[in-house]
Order: sequence, then structure tokens, then C-alpha cells
Amino acid sequence: MNLQYSGEEIIAADKAAVWKAITDPEWVGRCIPEVVDVTVRDPTHFDAVAKVGVGPVRGNFKFRFELVPGASGDRMDMKISGGGFGSAVDLTAGADVSDAGGGQTKLSWSGQAVARGPVAAVGGRVLDAQAQKLISQTFANVRERLSRR
Amino acid sequence: MSIEATPKGSMGVAMKRKEDPRFLQGKGNYVDDLSFPGMLHMAIVRSPYPHAEIVNIDGSAALKVPGVKAVITGKDLEAAGLGWLPTFHGYDKQMVLAIGKVLFQYQEVAAVFAESRAAAADGAEAVEVEYKPLPVVADPFVAKQDEVLLRPDREAKTNHIYHWEVGDKDKTAQALGAAEKVIKQRIWFPRCHPAPLEPCGCVAQFDTMGRLTFHVTSQAPHVYRTAITIVTGIPEDKIRVISPDIGGGFGNKVPVYPGYVCAIVGALKLGRPVKWIESRTENLTSTGFARDYHMDVEIGARADGTVTALRVSTTADHGAFDAAADPTKYPAGMFGVVTGSYTFPVAHAEVDAYFTNKAPGGIAYRCSFRVTEASYAIERGMDILADELGMDPVELRRKNFVRKDQFPYASALGFTYDSGDYHRTLDVALEKIGYQALLKQQAEKRAKGELMGIGFSTFTEVVGAGPSKHFDILGIKMFDSAEIRIHPTGSGIVRAGTKSQGQGHETTWAQIVAEELGLDPQNIMVEEGDTDTAPYGLGTYASRSTPVAGAAIAMAARRIRERARKIAAHLMEVGEGDVEWKDYKFQVKGVPAKSVTMKEVAFAAYTNPGQNEPGLEATQYYDPPNMTFPHGAYVAVVDVDRETGEVKVRRFLAVDDCGTVINPLIVEGQIHGGLTEGFAIAFMQEIQYDKDGNNLNTNFTDYLVPTSLESPKWETANTVTPSPHHPIGAKGVGESPNVGSPAAFVNAVIDALSPFGVRHIDMPITRDKVWRAIRDSDPAKG
Amino acid sequence: MRVSIKVNGVAHERDVEPRTLLVYFLREHCGLTGTHVGCDTSSCGCCVVVLDGDTAVKSCTMFAAQADGREVSTVEGLAQGGALHPLQQAFWDNHGLQCGFCTPGMLMTSYALLKHKPNPSETEVREELAGNLCRCTGYNNIVKAVRQAAETLQAAPVQK
Repeated sequence: MNLQYSGEEIIAADKAAVWKAITDPEWVGRCIPEVVDVTVRDPTHFDAVAKVGVGPVRGNFKFRFELVPGASGDRMDMKISGGGFGSAVDLTAGADVSDAGGGQTKLSWSGQAVARGPVAAVGGRVLDAQAQKLISQTFANVRERLSRR
Repeated sequence: MSIEATPKGSMGVAMKRKEDPRFLQGKGNYVDDLSFPGMLHMAIVRSPYPHAEIVNIDGSAALKVPGVKAVITGKDLEAAGLGWLPTFHGYDKQMVLAIGKVLFQYQEVAAVFAESRAAAADGAEAVEVEYKPLPVVADPFVAKQDEVLLRPDREAKTNHIYHWEVGDKDKTAQALGAAEKVIKQRIWFPRCHPAPLEPCGCVAQFDTMGRLTFHVTSQAPHVYRTAITIVTGIPEDKIRVISPDIGGGFGNKVPVYPGYVCAIVGALKLGRPVKWIESRTENLTSTGFARDYHMDVEIGARADGTVTALRVSTTADHGAFDAAADPTKYPAGMFGVVTGSYTFPVAHAEVDAYFTNKAPGGIAYRCSFRVTEASYAIERGMDILADELGMDPVELRRKNFVRKDQFPYASALGFTYDSGDYHRTLDVALEKIGYQALLKQQAEKRAKGELMGIGFSTFTEVVGAGPSKHFDILGIKMFDSAEIRIHPTGSGIVRAGTKSQGQGHETTWAQIVAEELGLDPQNIMVEEGDTDTAPYGLGTYASRSTPVAGAAIAMAARRIRERARKIAAHLMEVGEGDVEWKDYKFQVKGVPAKSVTMKEVAFAAYTNPGQNEPGLEATQYYDPPNMTFPHGAYVAVVDVDRETGEVKVRRFLAVDDCGTVINPLIVEGQIHGGLTEGFAIAFMQEIQYDKDGNNLNTNFTDYLVPTSLESPKWETANTVTPSPHHPIGAKGVGESPNVGSPAAFVNAVIDALSPFGVRHIDMPITRDKVWRAIRDSDPAKG
Repeated sequence: MRVSIKVNGVAHERDVEPRTLLVYFLREHCGLTGTHVGCDTSSCGCCVVVLDGDTAVKSCTMFAAQADGREVSTVEGLAQGGALHPLQQAFWDNHGLQCGFCTPGMLMTSYALLKHKPNPSETEVREELAGNLCRCTGYNNIVKAVRQAAETLQAAPVQK
């Protein structure tokens, strides 16, 4: 089950502030919707537990994040692997960070997920909708939290 | 009821089944009904990855879950010498719990033991496994290229498991080269799964003397006992295997599964009984699948339709381990019966098998050891040949049938068919289906653009494994056995080495004994499945019970009759030579008024045996001299909606010849069930894996079982051509309907689509495939 | 939590985890193993029991707590005073079972069906049984059995 997503957020904060936030593992972890726990392992690795539901399959999903910041400060790549109730999800995502003018920053993100196991067997449409929700909500939370600062 | 038999005593009588009362009242004794004091439940942690290294397994969180008692992994089993399980035919071994890496999605990785079913599931959830994904091979043709080595544990560093062939390769090539007409077609029999309604499961318990009692859904309890000894080292006398009532087998309950070994280990380690019952998802994704044969079929013929050569080259997908439960010398089972009902003067068949990242298995689902694949290949091939020659498929078949006077018939691929009357069975089918009227109707409908198809399958299959000179499983010869004891008051008990999973042995075995001994079948008790009491047998699968154990039962009964004759002579005060068995009585030759019944003799055996050994019992282990060859003529009539691709089965007639019929009601039931399975396979069932190795049909919402709504109304009939070498002339029939029907369905659909020039559609024939075939066909013909 | 269910006329009161399914309450807590579990997606119907006298339900898709205070009929309650119910007799007469695993569910669905439609046509029987899977019989004999039972019950209704 291969799923592709993309989107864009305009954030009311300057590029430097955005970059600082998205390279902070604890901060990024807290943006995941229904996050229950975040454990930082090192500056680029953290674990998060979040409540996830896909159709009849509901419960706590454990995610392992690796942040891969680009050297020039314009791009952040992420590798995420998750598991729970016998299923495995592997995501790669990346966001391009650019100045949008007027003290705003544009975050263009795209991601790809591979899901396996009972979660995947539940059905493409349901999984797709939930994964889309999870990822867009995460980036929306990034925008929300930064805009409040 | 349309299966006919000539009732004689108890043979051929449509008596109601003796075992039914307990099932009807919910008092069946299935393995999940068992409960013992202190019993623990086991759950299995499974891999979501089809191919991955296991970096780490951490059971610590699981052990903290309330009720969880233990977690074991492949490493623990390996340390105890139990890491690997031998597969039945000995060509491979299988991991019990994954060691080092996982090789298919849903493979067993760890086992959790807990106080309750729910706690075990909670515990399994909490086991943390870290995987490092590896490239996936989900296609046997890709596996063939050996770019990714799946089984580094094996000596030969290749994904190629074996090459098997039979027949004359050169003569066949020559004959094909010289043939006036040759057809060639790639025919795929896709992967499917038997899915009995009761999933697999077991309860393992050790008593205070260290003796293991293993209750398990097994179609072959004695073989399991010996296998457990081999794997665990526990002496065989310290093991008792009990197969209780089984809710359907269909070959799914023949292999020994990793869960069984884990349950035994858990029971031993924890000193408490352990129950493991798999879920439906576990059943569909990890237990023995069926088929997955990609067959290149070539038939050579003269212009008049006489076949001259057959060549079949097969690529077999066995999944991650070669756990196909074949007899030892037969890695491709009985595939050599692919010449079917026809007199091919030369033939050659070969199979190359490969590992892939899919669940292991291959032999299941009423296949008679790959006879389903072989039969499908030849029956489709003959239809394609008929089409190319412009011949009626019935005429082509009739022209090439083995004739009745040619039996016993030695086929080009080494089988000696015992008996058959293919022409007569086909004639019965043609008459009952009204073939000429159907052809007329089809012509009328075609003129109006309506799609109607008539499909035939005139199959011969081979069952009754088997003669000791050819067959063994784990080295054990494939005989079967019966032990009969008659009580003082004329009732009795028969124990056999087979194990019914719904086939009705409690009734049919009683009928055989009753017939041979002139007793009432209602008073002959039948017991199977307990290795402490039943004589050693190889179990029930591949339609072997009637041909082998049925023979053993008849012969044991005849031994009893022989002993009884001596007692009868003593009772009637005549010499042994003066007593004969006639009209179900012992009579003095020439003096019919002087007679005694078996009941009277039974009483005498205990109260007045004279010089004879007291008691009245006998045991027989039967080594069959040959396989048996049931055959049939099936006809499917379908109507296809050209707008939607929907196929409606208007009629289906099955005319079977299984030799002597013991109980017509039971035979008919077997045919109905097998035809419904063939229908499912032809139209709606497949275990699909995507290119990343994800199993897409993991439960009953995605793997479809026909319901009462779409299942056709089956019409049945039979002819009787007894087996000359079987004591009661019976051949067995359970698998024939699944062997013969898929080709009939497919042939009918292709026939319906012949205005569009469609040559072949792989099963399952879903609406979209039909619709696409019509759309993509030659518009000039549409 | 405390759950109290009247099963086949007998009250069963137990302390169970809230997540306990009705089918496991019956099988493990009441010791009535006639109701079976055959799948994990509510597809097979082996678990069908009858609620409050005439409603067939899949007991794998109901919590025991949802049946609290209600009446459940299982296959063990069909035969009365040692005599088989006409449905059971009809299944036996017509060879409507082989391995027996789907049989309790088939019987209970049929029982509820005949309460609502005492004289169903063949098509109606097939439609109503479409939630009960069978791998052994191919359904022909089951349908015959249900129609035979319908006839018997019309001629001589069973008090229940």
C-alpha cells in the first residue's frame, strides 16, 4: 500500500524561527495529533507515541523519527517508521522552507508512506484518508504553534 | 438424491449419519471447546514485513502486561534445538519462530503465554520488534533470476528449490515438431486457500509423569506423533495425539505448524496446559495455501484431432519454505496425471519450484497432491485445441479417451489407471444435460448477440496414496489400518488410522463392517483420532481414506469372518470346510436350514468358543497395490452479461464414477461441497500478494467464500466402474469435484465469449476480467 | 463489570472485562461451546445466536454487556425434553451438515428466519442464510432442510 501526500502551509513567522522549530525533535514530536509521549534520543532522533485509528483498528502507534536537515537550511527530510497492532508503516517526508515575504515562511511538504499488516488490509481508502489527516494535521499544528509565538 | 447405488445389506444404503446428533445439538468436541485447570493461552507475534532482518526483539514490556507469563523467540527455540521444523517430504525445513530474518508477511516471530486469551493478545501487542527491511521477491519468475537470495540457510545458494520431470523429453519434442497442429498456452492456477471454517489450533499438556497429550486439529494424528518425537526428542510412547472433532480440513490441517511447536514448548516450560487457537487472519496468511502453478501447456495433434503429444512446463511458487505436504519422492505430487483421460502416446512434464516472500505451503484444498492443477491444465488445453481445430470439444475428448477395454491402462507418464468407462460417463452427462438442445439454444442466442456458454471437464484423477514401493511420508509407508472388535452381544467397534473432518467415517466405516459381517451398522461404533487407541494410519487427505483404510476395514472384517467361521463350525458341529458365508449367515454347505448368524457366533466366541481362541477381533494393515482412478464428466452452462461481465451459472451437472458407492447421501454431499469450492476458485477466490509482498486477502471480507445466495444448485449423477484391485471396488470421491469443476466453469465462460475470439482468462474469472476481455477483443468479431 | 444474561432460560451472572464479546461469554463463562468462532470480520455466521426470542445476531460482534438483562437462545436450547427441534431433525434427514462447525449458526439463523417467515421460498431461504458460510455442504441440502422444517412447523408448531 503506497500512499503519496503533499501540501503547503504559510506560516506567520520568519524563516529562521521556522527552521529552529522544525529542527527541534521535542518540538516536532509535540505537533503530532493526539500525541501521548515524546522521547528525544539525540538531536536528530526521537520516538513518539500517538493515538491512531484506521477503521476498526485503533490504539497507540509508536513512531521513530529521524530528522535530516539540509545543510543550506532550506530543506528538512524526515524518515519515520511506525508500528502498532501488528502493522508497520514507513514514511519518508520532506519539506522545503522558503521565505514568503512579509515576515512569512512557506513550508512545502510532500511525503510517501508504505503500510503493511492488518492496518493496510483494512482498505486503501480508509487508510489513505486517515494517513492524509494525520500528516496534514501535523503540518497544520506546525503552522498553528509557530503562528502563536 | 441422484447418486445411485444398488443397496445390498448395508452397502449402498443412504442411511442418515450416526455422528450428526452431537453436532446438531452443539455438543461437538472441537479443540477450542477444551478447557483444563490452569490452562494458559498463547498468542503469536507476527511480522508485518515480507522480508526483513530482525534487529531486536524486546519482550520486556509484554512481560509487564498483567497475566502474561512468558515470551519466547526463535533464539530461545534454537538454543533448545527446536529452531527448525522438518517439512513432510524432507526437501526443506521451516523456521518455527523467525531466526535472523523474516521471510513472509505474517510470519511467526514470537509467542506470548498468558492467563487469558485477552491478556495473551495484549501481551503480543506489547512485544517490540525492530526490523530492517530487505528487498522483496514476490514473483517466482523474478526469484528465478537469483538477484536476491532468500534462503542463505540452504546449502545451494539459489532460490530454485528443485527440478522434477517425468516422461520422454526427446520423443515428446519430436512428436510436437511433427504434429499437424500444436497449441501452446500459459495457464496459471492462482494461489488460493482452503479456509475451513474452524481455524487451526491445539491444546498441549504434560502430565506429572512427563507424558504429553496433544489435542490438535490434525488430519493425520499418528504422523504428528512421530513428527513431534523427531522434532522434540520426546519418546513416542510418551506422546498422545488426539484429533477431536475437526471443523473442516481440506488439506489445511495436514502440515505441522509453528504454533503447535510453540504451544508444546510453552506447556513444557511453564508446567501448565497451553491452548493456541489461531484467528481467521492468521489462518489465511500463514497456513498451508494451495496451487500457484504457472503451466505452459503444449498439445500436439493430427488434423483429425487425434492427440500425439503433451508437454507441460511449470513454474511453481512455493512461498518462503517448501512446506508442500507431498510424499517423499513426489515434490510435484501426482502432477504426472496431467495426461488426464486421454491416450497420449508420448508426454513430458517438468516442474521448477522457487522460493518467494510469501506464506509456505502448496498442497491443500482438495488437490489430491497437485491433481487439481494437472486436471485444470489438460482440460483447458483440450478445449483450446478443439477451438483451434474447429472441433466440438465433446468430440475431441471422445476421440481421445482411453477405452474401457484398454484398462488397466499404462499412461505415458507412468501411472497405471485401474479402471474406467469414460465414454459411458460422458454419454450419461450429455443425455442428462440435454446437450443437443443446449447447442441449438446457444446458436439462437448467439444470433441475437446473447452470450451463453457450455463447458466440459472429463477428468480422471488419481487417489489412494499409496503403494509402499512408491510412497512414504517422513519415511513412513502410506498404508492404512483397521482394528475391529465384535462384542458378545453382536455389536462392535472399529478403529481406523484415518481422521474424518466431516466426511462421515462414523457412518461409512460402520456400513462396511456391517455389510461384511451381517450386523446392524447402528451398533458398530467407529473411533478415529486418538493415537493411544487407533492403529497407525497416515490420515485423511487426498481422498485416500476409502481406497486405503476402507480396504483395511473390509479385510479386517473378512479376517473376523474367517475366525467366526471356525466358531460357527464348532457350534453347528460340522467341519470347518463345510461352512460357508451366504445371505449374511454361516450355512452348512448344501443344508441352508442349518445356519447360525454372526450375532450368535459373537456370543459363542465369548461363551463357547470350543478349541478356538476366545474373543472376536482382527487387525489389518493394508498396503494398496495401486492408486485408484475415479473419473467424471462435468458440464457447466453459463450466461454472460456483455455489459457488466457478470457470469451466471445456469446449470451444473456432475456425473462422477467413484466405483462402488458406500453411502449415496454422503457421496452426494461430498460432490456438492467440492463443486462449491471449485466454483469459488473459478469465480471469486485468490490469495494475492502485491509486488511489495503485502498479502491483500487476509480475511473473509477480502478472501471470498460463496454464500447460499450465489452458490448454484448442483445436479449430480453417477456411473459405477469398480476398482478391480480394491476389496469392495471403491475408489474414493471427496476431491473429484474440486479437481474437475474449475475447468468446466472456465471452459464454459470461454465458450460464451467465443464470438469475441477470447482464448483464455485466468481464474478467478471476475466481472471486470470478462468485461475487459470483451472490450479488448477483436472488434470485427464482436 | 457484572453482566447478567438469561441463556436458554437459565440466568448466568458473571464478572467480566467490559471488552468480553458475547460469544466468549457463552463459550467460556457459561460453558456453552455450541456457538463457534470462525472468523474475525463478522463474515462467517458460526457465532449466530438468537436475542430476545426472535432476532438473529452475530455474537462475535456484540459485547456481553450489550446483552445484559436480555435473553439469548443458543443451539443447546433448541431440543426440548430430549426431542430434536424440527430444524435439527430436518438437517439430519437431509444431510445438511458434514463437519458440523457452521451448523449451530445455520440452525439459529434458520430458527429466527422461520419466526419471521414461516413459509419461505427457496430464494428467501438463500437470501436469509447468506450471512452464514459453509465450506462443506454447498448449501443445497441446508436449504432443503430449512424448507422441510418450515413445513413441519406449519403443520405442528413447537411451543417455545
